[in-house]
Amino acid sequence: MMMGNNQPIIVVEDLVVRYGDRTVLDGVSFEVRQGEVFVILGGSGSGKTTLLRNLVGLMRPASGRILIKGEDFTAMSEDDRIELRKKMGMSFQGSALLQSLSLADNVALPLREHTALEESTIDIMTRIKLELVGLGGFENYLPSELSGGMKKRAGIARAMAMDPEFIFYDEPSAGLDPIVAAGIDDLIRKMQETFKLTSVVVTHEMESVKLIADSVCMLKGGRAVGVGTLDELERSDHPYVQQFFARRADDESEDSAYAKALTGLE
Amino acid sequence: MINPAGHVGRWTLNQLAVGARVSVLMVETMAWMVVAPLRGKGLRFKAAVESFVEFGVRSLPIVGMICFLVGVIIALQSSYTLEKWGANRFIATLVAVSALREMAPLMTAILITGRSGSAITAEIGTMKVGEEIDALEVMGLNPIKYLVVPKFMAMLLAVPCVTVVAMFIMIFGGFFASVLVVGVDPTIYIEMTTQSLVEKDLVTGLVKSIFFGVAICWVGVYRGLQVEGGAEGVGKQTTSSVVTSIFLIIIVDLFFTVLFYFV
Repeated sequence: MMMGNNQPIIVVEDLVVRYGDRTVLDGVSFEVRQGEVFVILGGSGSGKTTLLRNLVGLMRPASGRILIKGEDFTAMSEDDRIELRKKMGMSFQGSALLQSLSLADNVALPLREHTALEESTIDIMTRIKLELVGLGGFENYLPSELSGGMKKRAGIARAMAMDPEFIFYDEPSAGLDPIVAAGIDDLIRKMQETFKLTSVVVTHEMESVKLIADSVCMLKGGRAVGVGTLDELERSDHPYVQQFFARRADDESEDSAYAKALTGLE
Repeated sequence: MINPAGHVGRWTLNQLAVGARVSVLMVETMAWMVVAPLRGKGLRFKAAVESFVEFGVRSLPIVGMICFLVGVIIALQSSYTLEKWGANRFIATLVAVSALREMAPLMTAILITGRSGSAITAEIGTMKVGEEIDALEVMGLNPIKYLVVPKFMAMLLAVPCVTVVAMFIMIFGGFFASVLVVGVDPTIYIEMTTQSLVEKDLVTGLVKSIFFGVAICWVGVYRGLQVEGGAEGVGKQTTSSVVTSIFLIIIVDLFFTVLFYFV
C-alpha cells in the first residue's frame, strides 16, 4: 500500500510533554514517511491526543524535537509556523467547524485569509472540496444542520482547503456508527491515494487501523510501546500490543491494584 | 485552608497569574490592532463593522428606553428636595450634569456589559469548547487577530457612540418629567440646561465610556478564553464575565471621577 518515496518527512525525537508535574508523553520517537498513512494508536489516556496537538503546534513540548520537512517545528518563529501551517490540515474530533459560518464559508475561510484569490475562484475551489468529501450541494448549510458523519466530512473538506501536504485526523471515527465510520476510513484512504497526502491518524479503533494504516505507533502511558508496520506490530511480543490486538481486558491483578489505588483499601 | 499564610500566598500568586495572562492578552491585541496592520497584515474591517452594529446599533433601543426612564427618575427625585427651596428650575442643571458626567456613561456600559460582554464570553467560550479556537490556530489564523481585534475595535467605538445618544435621551427624559409632571416652564428648562453644561462635562463622560468599553471587551474575551469543560464552563464564565465587568466599570468610574474632581 506504500505510496511515494520513503523519505521521513515528520521526525519526532524523544518528545517529552508535561502538564504541571504529570508527564503525559515520556520520550516518544518515530518517523512518518512521505505519503503514508501513519496511525497513532492507543487507549484512553495514553497521550495520543496530546501527541497530535504537539505535532500541529497547539502545544509545545517540555523537551525533544519535531522536525517537519527537516525544520524544527518546536523552535520556529511565529511567522514561519504560520507558513508551515498553511501546508497542514487538521480534522478535529468534534469537527470544530465555525458554527456561525455556512459549510462553504468554513471551507473558504483559510483561502480568503491566506490567499489573494478572486471570490469566484474561491467559490469553485470550495465546491470542489465539498464534492470531494461527498457534500456537494450542502454549501449553504450551517454546521448545526448536519449529522455527525457529515460534520466530520466537512471538517476534512476544510482541512483540504489549502491543498495541504500533511493532514492530521483526531479520532476520525469517534462517535459514529460503524457504517459511517467505515465511510470516513475510505475517505482517509482516498485522500491519501489521490493527493499523495502524508496522513497522521489518531485513533483507538482497531478495525479502522487494519483498513488504513501503513505504519503504526502504539502508545501506552505516554511511551511508544511499538512502532512499525501493522504486520510488524502484530508479530510484536510486547504484552500490551498483543492485548490490544486481541482486544482483551486488563488482568485481574491490574484491576485490583487500580481498585486499591482508588479506594485506599487493602 | 489549614494554613492561612499559605492561603494568602496561593491567592496572591493566582491573582498575579491572572494579571500576567490579561497583560499578555492586552499586548497581543494591541500588537495585532496597531503594529500588524503597519506591516501589511491587515485588519478585518468587515467583522469589526458587524460587531459595531451588534454592540452599538442594536443596543440603542434598550439603552434609549432605560436612559429615558433614568432621566425621568433623576428629575422627579431632585424635585423632591429642590421644591422645598422653590428651586425646581435647577432640576435641569442636575439632570444635565449627572447625565453627561455619570449616569449616561454608566448605564450604557452596564447595559452593553449585560448584552454584549456576556455574548462575547459565551461566543468565545463555546468556540473554545468546540475546538474552534484550536481549528483557527491550526489553519494559521491567529485567534486574537481573527476574533478579538474586530470586537475590540467595535467596542472601543460603540460604547462612546451609544453614550452620546444616551446623554441626549436622558436629558430629554428629565425635560419630559419636569415639564409634564413638575410643571417647569419648557423654555426655562432648555435655557438652564444649555447654561449649565460645559465642554468638560462631555469630555469626562466620553473618556470614561472609552475605558468602560476597554474593560467590557477585555473581561469578556478573557473569561471566554478561560472556559474549560463543556456548557457548564461557558455558563460559569459568562456569569463571572458580567460580574467582573460591572465591578471594573465601577472602579474605572471612581478613578476618573476622582481624577476629574481634582483636575
